[in-house]
Amino acid sequence: MPGLLSKERIIAPPRFNRWLVPPAALAIHLSIGMAYGLSVFWLPLSHAIGITTAAPADWKVSTLGWTFSLGIVFLGLSAAVFGRWVERAGPRTAGVVAACCWGGGFLVAAAGVHLHNIWLLYLGLGIIGGCGLGLGYISPVSTLIKWFPDRRGMATGMAIMGFGGGAMIGSPLANLLMNHFRTATSVGVQETFVTLGLIYFVAMLAGAFAYRLPPPGWQPAGWTPSQAGTMITARQVHVGQAWRTPQFWLLWTVLCMNVSAGIGVINMASPMLQEVFGGRLIGAAGALKDLTGPQKTEVATIGAGFAALLSLFNIGGRFCWATLSDYLGRQRTYFLFFALGTVLYALAPHAGRLGSVPLFVGIFCVILTMYGGGFATIPAYLADMFGTQHVGAIHGRLLTAWSTAGVLGPVLVNYIREYEIGRGVPAAGAYNTTMYILAGLLVIGFVANALVRPVSERVFMTDAQLAEERRLAHESGSRT
Amino acid sequence: MSETGRSSRRGSWLLVLVAWTLVGIPLAWGVYRTLQTAVKLFR
Repeated sequence: MPGLLSKERIIAPPRFNRWLVPPAALAIHLSIGMAYGLSVFWLPLSHAIGITTAAPADWKVSTLGWTFSLGIVFLGLSAAVFGRWVERAGPRTAGVVAACCWGGGFLVAAAGVHLHNIWLLYLGLGIIGGCGLGLGYISPVSTLIKWFPDRRGMATGMAIMGFGGGAMIGSPLANLLMNHFRTATSVGVQETFVTLGLIYFVAMLAGAFAYRLPPPGWQPAGWTPSQAGTMITARQVHVGQAWRTPQFWLLWTVLCMNVSAGIGVINMASPMLQEVFGGRLIGAAGALKDLTGPQKTEVATIGAGFAALLSLFNIGGRFCWATLSDYLGRQRTYFLFFALGTVLYALAPHAGRLGSVPLFVGIFCVILTMYGGGFATIPAYLADMFGTQHVGAIHGRLLTAWSTAGVLGPVLVNYIREYEIGRGVPAAGAYNTTMYILAGLLVIGFVANALVRPVSERVFMTDAQLAEERRLAHESGSRT
Repeated sequence: MSETGRSSRRGSWLLVLVAWTLVGIPLAWGVYRTLQTAVKLFR
């Protein structure tokens, strides 16, 4: 008898409604999306011993920030290394392991806070939690694509939208919990970690147990696959072969350039708005450095509003662009991202010079939709190019582009800004060169996307190889 | 379609509604909280 977590156990019964699968994927992605909201803990943790002010033994915010970087690195590594295992073991097993890692990671981090041991924090939320992020992120991808062969972009867009939206739920929830648990001797983070760990464990388990796989040969009623004149293949490429093709590395470059440009902006959104417009944001004269304390607080509040608005456009773009790619085609969608993005990045400094806050904000809102859209459309692009058999594993390997971009984007933005200020450029104009460089990254992405062609016939699996792969993946019968 | 088939179809859409509500409520709350912060940009 198949085990509780096995793939055989989760083959959907007849009349199963495929619209039950996206909420399962969302339950997991909304939970792991809290990775983007971890910064909410750094300030309270920076005075975990001193409580009201930082004591000498307290951790620095910069030291705590490494937890997030580690988490993103381990997200990419675990998705790349365990992607093939996820395909074989199935989404339920992967979802349960992800729940144990992400929920358990919070518990280990709570022990780290209790013992005031930073290495336990890194181990919990960085390494163990990071593995949970990677496994959780790729766990629903191939399942959704198999359930929605007619709307691949929309299906994966819904799940990946959840990853963008996780911090929207997690950050305010964490603040409420920290306020609830705060005492005269504790900042409340330890108890919040335990509570969140349990909440995420339960939510992710619920998602994992709700996953169902389509029966072999299943297709949506009335749908017939059409590959004529498109880059959508009906054949399958092995993950071990896929990453050796030029197409894989071109798509890797496409994702890396798109994410590098967007992530650089996300990190600097709030200070950038404040420095570019300064007092104009509140109807006062002068640059940010010339404002009074209360004025600076008011400007900072507006900066936080800008960052929040960008996060809304980021998650909206994940769903809308990925859905639109089902109609436009993946390559055309990325052409649009890169062409429009290049123009918008190049226009941003002019909006700053014109002093137009609405134009500046509007430009970055559109840019952020395309940043999110790039994440959400890539799994469908991969499925179109390499088939659906190993798409989760191939996507896992492609996510190393994200890890690379996570370093490249912020480093470019931060260091160029410091360099510009160092050579005497006023703070308001220090971002101009950065914007032109980010536009340049998008040009590279445009060229990489233009070079993408259907994969060579020789890289597809033979019928015998495919049958063996399906046997190893515990799949019987044929499936496209 | 038989009565049993129709009832099973209704049941599956009810389940879909419940599942989407379970993930939709926290997501809507998160979006609402974010909007509360975002409106400060327009004041």
